[in-house]
Amino acid sequence: MRGADVTEKRPAWHQSMIIHAILAVGGLFFLMPLVWMIVTSLKPLDQTMRPPRSVAEAFVGTGNRAMLGGRDCDVVLEREITVGPGSPAWIVRPGEAFSAGELRLPFGPDTWQKYPVFNKAELALMNAPVTPEMTVLAYDRNRFDPGTGTLTLCSGRTLPATPVRQIQPSAEKLWLVREWRPEDTDQKEIGSAGGDVSRAWDVLPESAIRTSVRLIPYNYVAALSRIRFGRSLLNTLFLCVMVVTGTVISSMLVAYGFAFLEFRGRDLLFGITMATMMIPFPVVMIPIYLLYRDLGWIGSFKPLWVTSWFGSAFFIFLLRQFFLGLPKDLLDAARIDGCSELEILWNVVVPLSRPAIAMVALFTFLGTWKDFLGPLIYLNHQSQFTLSLSLQAFASEHGGTPWHLLMAASTAFSLPLIVLFFLAMRVFIRGIAMTGLKG
Amino acid sequence: MSRGPLAGYAFIFPWLIALVAFVGYPFVAGFYFSFCDYPPLKSPLFVGTSNYTELLRDHVFQRSMATTLTYASVAVPLGVFLAVSLGMALNTHVRGQSFYRVIFYLPHLVPTVVVALLWLWIFNPHFGLLNALLGAIPRAIDMLAEVFFALDSAGFLRPWAALLLAGPLLAAAVKLLPGPFSRRPRLRSLLLSAAAAWIAVGVVSLADALLRWLTPYNPSRIELPGWLTDGTPFPASVPFAPPWALWALILMSMWGVGQMAVIYLAKLQDVPVDLYEAADIDGAGWWRKAWHVTIPMISPVILFNAVMGIIGAMQVFAEPYIMTNGGPEDKTRMVAMFIYDQAFQYQRIGYASAVAWVLFLVIVILTLLTFRISRGHVYYAGR
Repeated sequence: MRGADVTEKRPAWHQSMIIHAILAVGGLFFLMPLVWMIVTSLKPLDQTMRPPRSVAEAFVGTGNRAMLGGRDCDVVLEREITVGPGSPAWIVRPGEAFSAGELRLPFGPDTWQKYPVFNKAELALMNAPVTPEMTVLAYDRNRFDPGTGTLTLCSGRTLPATPVRQIQPSAEKLWLVREWRPEDTDQKEIGSAGGDVSRAWDVLPESAIRTSVRLIPYNYVAALSRIRFGRSLLNTLFLCVMVVTGTVISSMLVAYGFAFLEFRGRDLLFGITMATMMIPFPVVMIPIYLLYRDLGWIGSFKPLWVTSWFGSAFFIFLLRQFFLGLPKDLLDAARIDGCSELEILWNVVVPLSRPAIAMVALFTFLGTWKDFLGPLIYLNHQSQFTLSLSLQAFASEHGGTPWHLLMAASTAFSLPLIVLFFLAMRVFIRGIAMTGLKG
Repeated sequence: MSRGPLAGYAFIFPWLIALVAFVGYPFVAGFYFSFCDYPPLKSPLFVGTSNYTELLRDHVFQRSMATTLTYASVAVPLGVFLAVSLGMALNTHVRGQSFYRVIFYLPHLVPTVVVALLWLWIFNPHFGLLNALLGAIPRAIDMLAEVFFALDSAGFLRPWAALLLAGPLLAAAVKLLPGPFSRRPRLRSLLLSAAAAWIAVGVVSLADALLRWLTPYNPSRIELPGWLTDGTPFPASVPFAPPWALWALILMSMWGVGQMAVIYLAKLQDVPVDLYEAADIDGAGWWRKAWHVTIPMISPVILFNAVMGIIGAMQVFAEPYIMTNGGPEDKTRMVAMFIYDQAFQYQRIGYASAVAWVLFLVIVILTLLTFRISRGHVYYAGR
C-alpha cells in the first residue's frame, strides 16, 4: 500500500513556493554540472583555456566567422596587426618554395628540427612547404622590399616575391585570421589551426569578423579515439557481463539457501554476512591483492569478476529479504509435487522475483561500469583498460588541459547509464524503494 | 517441510568459499601482516608492533587521518541533513515530484572518474563554472542596485523608504482588503508574489548598500578561492579550519546526496497517514509534524545511512586521488590514499596493513559511537 504525504491536498501557495524554491535550488545543483559537462564537450579548445567573458559564454561555445576568398568560414583570430609607416605589411606570393618554419623562427630550413621543444604536430606544421601558389604575410619578422621584389624570411633567407597587395593602415583593429576546421579540435598543442599555412587566411578589419555560436560534435570523434573507446568499451562490457551473470546466479542461490532452507548455523552465517558489509575495502585490499598475485591473476580480468561468482553480501541480503516476502504455500506445494530445490528456485521463486533480480542485475551493472579502484589496482596494460581507467589515463597524461575532449569522453562514458536509467526507470525506482538503504 | 542440512549448505556453498577466501582470510591475514615486515617477493617476517609505533611518529599518516576525519565529520552530517530536507521537500504534493526525483537521482549514475574530472573542471580556479558563477553574483547584485541608484538620483524614489515600505504595504493590502482579492485567488497570489519579489529586491539592494558602506568594495576585485589548488584555511579566523581544497571535496560529495533524498522519499511515502491525521486533530503544525512524526518514522534509515556514510567517507579514495593527488601540500591526502601509496607505490605491505587496521578500528569506533548517540532517538516500529 502506498502511504501518504504530509498533507493529502496540495500545499498552500506560499508553502508550495518555498518548497519549489528548495527543490529548484537542489535540482539546479544536481543538473548544472551535467549541463556544464555537455556544453563543454561541444566547445572549442580556446574557450576551455580562458575565463568565460559572461555567464552565457560559459554555457555556449562561440567562435568567429568571416569571408575568406569568397567563402564564409569559421576562423580563428591569430594575432592583431598594427600597420604604420615603420611597420608595413604586405601579402606576397613567394617566388620559390620554403618551409613554413622559416616564417616564424630564425633558423634555416630543417635546423629547428633538432630542437626537442617541438612535438610532432608542431614539427609537421614547421615542415609544411610554402609553395609559389600560396600567399604569405610579410610583416614584422618577414620583410618585403617592394623596390627589389625580395622577401627576407625570419630564417635569414631571401627570395624573390611578387606583391599581391599592401595592407593599408585602418582606424579599426586589423586581425590576421585563418580558417578553422573541426579537425583542429583534436590538436591539443595547436587546437586552432594557428600557423597552418595550408589554410585560407587573410588580414581583415574587425568589422568584417562576426561572432557566432560554435558547437563542435567533432570533439566526440577526437575524444573517443584518444581514449581508445572501442577497446575500453569491450573490456568494460566483458566485465559487466561476467560480473552481472555471476552476481545474479550466485546471490540467488545463496539467498535461496538463507531464506528457505534450514541448516545449522544459518542465522549466525547470515549475521556474519551482514557484518561483512561493514568491512571497508582498504582493510582487505592488500591481502586480496597478494592472494591474486600468488595466483598469477594480476594484469588479467580475473580478479575483477571471479569473486562475483561466489556471491555478494549486499545482494544476498536484498534477495533474501525479497524471497521471505513470497508466499510460502507455493513452495510447499512444489515440494509436495516432488520438485527439487533447484527446480523450485527456477520454476517458482525466479518467476515471482523478476523485479528483484532485475534490480540486482541493474545495480551490479552500474557498480561494475563505474568501478575505478578495482581496475586501477589489478590492470596494468593499456589494452585491458576499462573506460574508467582509459579516461583517467588520458586525463593524467595531459595534465587536464583539453577539457573539451575530456568532457566529451566523460559524456560518452556516462550516457549509456543515463539512457539505461530512463529505459529501466521503473526497475530503478522500485529498487530504490525496495532497498531503501543503499543504491 | 525441509530436506536436511545438506541442501542448505549446497546452496550457500559459493558464499562460504567467498567468506573464507575473500573476506575471512584477507581480514585475518591483513591483521597478521600489520605485525610483519613484508618486503615484496619475500615472505612476511614477524616484527611485533614496530609498524604501529612507526605510525605514532609518522606525521604524514597523522595528518591524513586528521584530514579524513575532518572530511567525514563535515560531509556525513551535512549530507544526511540535506538529503532528509530534500526528501521531505519532495514528499509534498507539489507539481513535478517525479521530474525532480529523476534529476536528483542523475548524479548517482555518473561514474566516479567522470565525477572527479567534471568537478575538477568545475573547480578550475580560472576557467571553471563555479568561479564564473560566483564572480557573476556580486556583479548582478551591483547591477540591480545600480538600477535603483539611478532611479533615485533621477528623483523617482528614495529607494530605501520606497523599497522597504512598498513590498510590505502591497502584501498587507492584499491580505487585508477582503473584497476584490478574495474572489480572485489568482490575482491575489500574483500580487503577493510581486510583493515578495519587491521585498527581496529591497533586501538585496540594502545589502549592497551596506557592503559598499562597510568596505571599499569593488565587485570585479573580489578574490575567489582557488578551490582544489587552494591550501589556505577557511574560515581563516578559526584555528584548524579546513583548507579550501577540502571544502571543495565536501561540496562535491554533496552532489551525490540526491540519491539519498530519493531513498528517503521512498521511506517517507510509507509513513502511515493516520499518524498525520492524529497530529492534525491535535492541532500540530508543519514543523511539529515533521519533528515528531516524520523524522522519528524514518530514523532507522537515517541511522543506517549515517553509518554507511561514515564508512564510505572514511575510505574515500578515487576523488582525491584523481583530483588533487593529495595536494595542495598534502592537505587532501586521505588515509585510503596513504594506504594505496604505501602498499602499491612503496611496496611497504606490513606498514600499509597496519594503517588499514588503524583505519578499520577508527571506523568501528565511529560506528559504535553513532549507534550509542542514536540510542533512544531511533524509533523501530514493532518494538
